[in-house]
Amino acid sequence: MIWKTIKVGFHRLGSPPNFYRLCQRFSPWLWGGFFLCAAVGLYQALYVVPPDYQQGDSFRILYVHVPAAWQAMAGYVVMAILAFIALVWRIRIAEIMAMMGAPIGAAFSVICLATGSIWGRPMWGTWWAWDARLTSMLVLLFIYLGIMGLYSAFEDKRKGARIACILILVGLVNIPIIHFSVEWWTTLHQGSTIRFFGESTMHYSMMPPLVWMTIAVKFLFAAALLDRSRNEILDQDRRRRWVLEHAGVNR
Amino acid sequence: MIPEFDYAPYVWSCYGLFAIIVAWQIVQPMIQHRRLQAEIREERALTAGEYDDANP
Repeated sequence: MIWKTIKVGFHRLGSPPNFYRLCQRFSPWLWGGFFLCAAVGLYQALYVVPPDYQQGDSFRILYVHVPAAWQAMAGYVVMAILAFIALVWRIRIAEIMAMMGAPIGAAFSVICLATGSIWGRPMWGTWWAWDARLTSMLVLLFIYLGIMGLYSAFEDKRKGARIACILILVGLVNIPIIHFSVEWWTTLHQGSTIRFFGESTMHYSMMPPLVWMTIAVKFLFAAALLDRSRNEILDQDRRRRWVLEHAGVNR
Repeated sequence: MIPEFDYAPYVWSCYGLFAIIVAWQIVQPMIQHRRLQAEIREERALTAGEYDDANP
């Protein structure tokens, strides 16, 4: 009974008009969640937490750098799950969502690389080093750009999406490389400061803004993904009748 | 009320970049959505009656 309900719900969600309505309904709430969490996180990051005893105020950069890095990787895993669903069950909504995750993931990769570089200048004395963590993160950005390029290179969007989905699954190998790069190689980038299973080396007073900003970027990813997917569905289905009835163009 | 930090140019440029990219993630889909709606309305006006009614 439960399985049947899930299956019916899954198929309903796969219908473009239903998914479009879902995007319209949930997107403002997700943006609201983002603004709320980001407001709390930014306030704590800039006004509440004390300066680091070694890095001074430059450590505050981590409150945008670390959540962006985590989200660039988490977003990729979400895309890989969607790509797998798209390839196995040929669900068009999953294909579209997998494709629309790429520009958002690329944006988080850019934030991560740029803020890391800006932090590196005063702390390491250099903007960039060909270190395993930095290089593997740069590779992730190139994978995101490759997915976007591949998808837009085909006139038949479904064909382009299927090929890009294969690239997403192949590129998944880079995620554990990024995560374990600081353990597998001797890197300029420091090892993991925050551990989910084990003791973190970051003082607890510095943790709350990181938690808020991490939740905020999760909301941001979800909201932007729904907005972009909604637009892509509208673009692809522009000649379907449901678009005229539900997408606010019949006015 | 703007806090004074050491390494201020580095800190603020990071937060500024974050704000710009976040703003782009909000604004770009909104602009695209409006443009798409306008395009569809225009197409509809030009090719009235040619919609795929058999495949809604």
